[in-house]
Amino acid sequence: MSSGSKPIEVTDVTLRYRLEKANVGTIKEAAVRTLRRQRTTEWINALDGVSFDVDRGEIFAVVGPNGAGKSTLMKIIARVLPPSTGRVIVRGQVAPMIELGSGMNPELTARENIILYGAMLGRDPKHMRERVDPIVEWAGVEDFVDVPTRAYSSGMMGRLAFSVATDIEPEVLVVDEVLSVGDKAFRAKSQTRMNQLIHGGSAVVVVSHSLEMLRNLATRAMWLDRGRVKMLGSADDVLSGYQTSG
Amino acid sequence: MTAAQSTVRYDSDIRRRPLVTEFQNFWRYRGLIKLLVVRDLTVRYKRSVLGVWWTILNPVLTIAVLWIVFSNFFGRGGQLDFGEPYVVYLTAGILIATYFSQGVIAAGSAIVNSRGVLIKMYIPPEIFSLAAGVAAAAHFCLSLIPLFLLVILVGPGLTWTALLIPIPLVFMLMLVTGIGLLIASAAVFFRDVLDITRVLTQLLNYLIPTFWTVDFIAASPKALALVKTNPVFSYLVVFRTWAYGGEMPPTWNIVMMVASGVVALALGVYVFSRNWRRVVVRL
Repeated sequence: MSSGSKPIEVTDVTLRYRLEKANVGTIKEAAVRTLRRQRTTEWINALDGVSFDVDRGEIFAVVGPNGAGKSTLMKIIARVLPPSTGRVIVRGQVAPMIELGSGMNPELTARENIILYGAMLGRDPKHMRERVDPIVEWAGVEDFVDVPTRAYSSGMMGRLAFSVATDIEPEVLVVDEVLSVGDKAFRAKSQTRMNQLIHGGSAVVVVSHSLEMLRNLATRAMWLDRGRVKMLGSADDVLSGYQTSG
Repeated sequence: MTAAQSTVRYDSDIRRRPLVTEFQNFWRYRGLIKLLVVRDLTVRYKRSVLGVWWTILNPVLTIAVLWIVFSNFFGRGGQLDFGEPYVVYLTAGILIATYFSQGVIAAGSAIVNSRGVLIKMYIPPEIFSLAAGVAAAAHFCLSLIPLFLLVILVGPGLTWTALLIPIPLVFMLMLVTGIGLLIASAAVFFRDVLDITRVLTQLLNYLIPTFWTVDFIAASPKALALVKTNPVFSYLVVFRTWAYGGEMPPTWNIVMMVASGVVALALGVYVFSRNWRRVVVRL
């Protein structure tokens, strides 16, 4: 079954982290607690033995209640968090669609922000300079390219971030809640672009609470519960199983 | 398997190799580092009415105050005992002290300050500390302008040794980035680390002869030893002799500068490397 060349391979991944029972945020507090021999931490498994893979053209949905580890899993695939044990292999360029626009600075102009944000997403600054025009045009802010973005409305900022983030043909797409931004007209436009990306033949992992949308979208699915895989299989089976569980 | 095989972009089993991985990252992300430095400079200038002049004016004002207070005390008639104009001596001292303290604080807070980005996309965190150090170096370069003006107007005039200033500049960058990375890893776990750092760098700056002269403490061998073993003292000696002295500093000051820069950077990067996993999970 495993061909060894799929864009995403996750094998027996566990993420363990220390939960601070009391907030020990300073050296002083830590020293006092050590002297009093108070145990303040406890180990928690945010993910526990999770394995799956995603092939090209597959749209893989991850569902589960809050705190099941869905967002942690997205971060592990996006390389933001390293697994404690187990192995993650990602082949090809990754586009993480997780809370867009962090890293944009209101004091910088749209042009400066596009280049900086693009570079943070791992793209070549030279390439980003050439992409400024199509990006602002798509976002509908071409008249404000050299204006500091602090003058932007939140809608304009959202459109700009979305336009930069989706200005690629990724081989791996990681989506935490399918995004659409802006007013009604722009929402339709961004929804279309998102669908193009999702159906563009890359390996897609999508997290959402909207089961209806996932049912139309996903080909396979995984149900996470308290960090463990509860069910893995075809989208129909898993989504129905999850829905009937309440 | 006819489809084109994409290259492996990420394999979590490939372990970090302390020092190697980080220096590879510094090189690989040099484009981003450059953009982060430019961002740092632009944001700072745009926020103030005076723009770029503020960077130059800021040390000038500090120096003016110290000069008014101490010039009669240390440099009677505007000259030090060994013939240097006091104002030039003072300016050079303040520039090095500012570069060191601003650099360490900026590099030390860089990872915590970039938390919003680091928890959403993959960027090696050490990049931000190096970029903060380079930004401090850029500020130092800008503040060389008032120093050279003073050297030309009231000082001994420019000498060829001023061309050697990039050497202390680069070793100071290594020193502040190394110390900054040590602090940056700790600051993720304990938020008072940065406050402690501010106090300590300030104390350390009083321990180097910025506005005072070494002969002032020459009577106490203990104080003298304390001052001379401080690595920043050696940077200051080297910088002063090259910026306007026109001669070679004592060899041991050069050795101290090179050694402390290399050791601090290697140590900072190594400690960060051993802790990066805990750092990113804790962020």
